[in-house]
Amino acid sequence: MNYPRVDAYSEIESVIHNFNPRAKIITFTALIFSFAFIESLTVALFAVLFSVSLIFISKLPIGFVYARLKYPIIFIFAIFVIMCFTVEGNIIIGSYFVSVTLEGLKLGLLIFLRATAALIIAFLMLATNRFDTIIKALYMLKLPNVVVQMIVFSYRYIFVLVDEFQNMKKSMSAKGFEIKANRYGLSTIGNLIGMLLVKSYERGERVHKSMISKGYEGKPRMDTNYNLMFSDYALTIFMIVLALGVHIYPVI
Amino acid sequence: MHISDGVLSATVVTGGWTITIVLAFLTLWWRSQESDITEEIPKFSVMTAAFFVASLIHLPIGPTSVHMIFNGLVGIVLGPLAYLSLVVGLILQAFLFQHGGVTTIGINAMNIGIPALLSYYAFKKGYDFGISEKIMGAFSGGAAIFMTVILLSITLLTTGQEFIGVAQVSAATHAPLMIVEAIITGSVVTYLSKVKPELLPIKIHKNEKSMEGSKYGTEF
Repeated sequence: MNYPRVDAYSEIESVIHNFNPRAKIITFTALIFSFAFIESLTVALFAVLFSVSLIFISKLPIGFVYARLKYPIIFIFAIFVIMCFTVEGNIIIGSYFVSVTLEGLKLGLLIFLRATAALIIAFLMLATNRFDTIIKALYMLKLPNVVVQMIVFSYRYIFVLVDEFQNMKKSMSAKGFEIKANRYGLSTIGNLIGMLLVKSYERGERVHKSMISKGYEGKPRMDTNYNLMFSDYALTIFMIVLALGVHIYPVI
Repeated sequence: MHISDGVLSATVVTGGWTITIVLAFLTLWWRSQESDITEEIPKFSVMTAAFFVASLIHLPIGPTSVHMIFNGLVGIVLGPLAYLSLVVGLILQAFLFQHGGVTTIGINAMNIGIPALLSYYAFKKGYDFGISEKIMGAFSGGAAIFMTVILLSITLLTTGQEFIGVAQVSAATHAPLMIVEAIITGSVVTYLSKVKPELLPIKIHKNEKSMEGSKYGTEF
C-alpha cells in the first residue's frame, strides 16, 4: 500500500534540506521549545510567520504541507474555540450563557499561534530529511541506543501492521461486520485486537530470530559521516540566536 | 487527549519531562535485570507498533468519534516496559504524524504511562486474589482511562485556572471512552487468556477448560 510518508519530499534541494541533520535536530528542537513558551502575541505572530517562511524556503509542495498539517491545526483551533468561551473575564460578544471574553480570546489566540509555530517546525525537521538520516544523526548525538532502536523498529512495523489490520478488517466486513459501539461490536473489536496482538507477538519472535541469524548484536553499524560545513555553523548560530531572541526581545 | 504544544507552562512541561525520563530509565533498568534487553527490542517494537495501530481505530459514538488509548491494555501486556512503549508511541505520533505536541511528550507520557503501570499491578494483584481475568481486564482498562483523565485535568489546572473549561470538555469526552475501553480490554484479555496466555503476566489456572474452545476464540 502507499502511505503518505512525512519524508516523501526529502530529495528536494534547498537550504533547509542541505542543513546538516545533527545541527538541524538541535536547532529545530531549540526552536520548538522556544516557540512553545512565547509570552507575547506579537512575538508569537512573528514566530508563525517565520516558520511559514521556512516552509517556502524549503520548497516543499504546498499541497503536501496542507495535507499533513490540516488536521493538527484544526485540532489546535478547537482548543482556541473552547478557550474563547470558557475563560472568565470581560465579555465582548454574547449574553449570559454563551459569551466570548477578551481574556479567553487573547489566551486562546496565543496558544493557537505558539502551537502552530512549534508544529510547523517539528514537521519541517522530519519532512526535509530521509527518516534514516535523522536516525543516524540521533545515534551520533549519543541518544541511548536502546531507545533509538525501539523508535526505528516501531516505526517500521507500524506500516506492516496497518496492512495486516486492514486485511483483517476487510475479511470481517466481507462477513458482514460493521464497527458499532454496542456490546457485541465491542467484544468483536476486542477479539480483533487480540488477534492483532497475537500475530504481532509471533511476528516479533520471527523478526528477532531472523535478525540474530543476520548477525544482530543490538548495536547499529554506521559508515556515514556528516561533516559540518561553514554554512551549517552560520545557520545554527542564526537559529539559536532567534530561539533565544524571542524570549529576550519582550524583556528589553 | 493529547495536550498540544504551547498550552502548558514551562514548569509543568519541565516536571513532565523529568518524571518521564526517570520512570523510563527506571523501568528499562528494572527489565534489564530480568532479561537481556537487546533480545527484547524486536518483540517490544512490534508490540508497540501493534498498540499504535490498534489505537487508530475510530469508534462512532453519537455525533462524534473517539479513538482508543489502550494504556491499560499496554500495561497488562508489556508490564513495566509499557511506559517506554507509550513514550515511543508519543514520539512517533508527534514527529511523524504531527499529532500531539513535541514539548509535551514528557507530560503526555506521564499522564498515560503512570495509569498503565498501575493497571498492570492492579491486574496482577486482582487475578492473584481470585477475580476472573475478564473482570480484572475490564476494570484495569476502564480505571486506566479514569486515572488519565484525572492526571490530565490536574496538569491543565496546575498551569492555570483558565483551563478549567478545556479540562471539563476533555473529561466529558473521555467518559464514554472509559466504558468502551473497559469492555474492549476485558474482551482482549479473555481472548489472550484462551489463545496466547504467555502474553499476560499471569498463570492461567484453567488451561484444560480453554483448550476445548476453538483456537481463535468463539466469535471467530
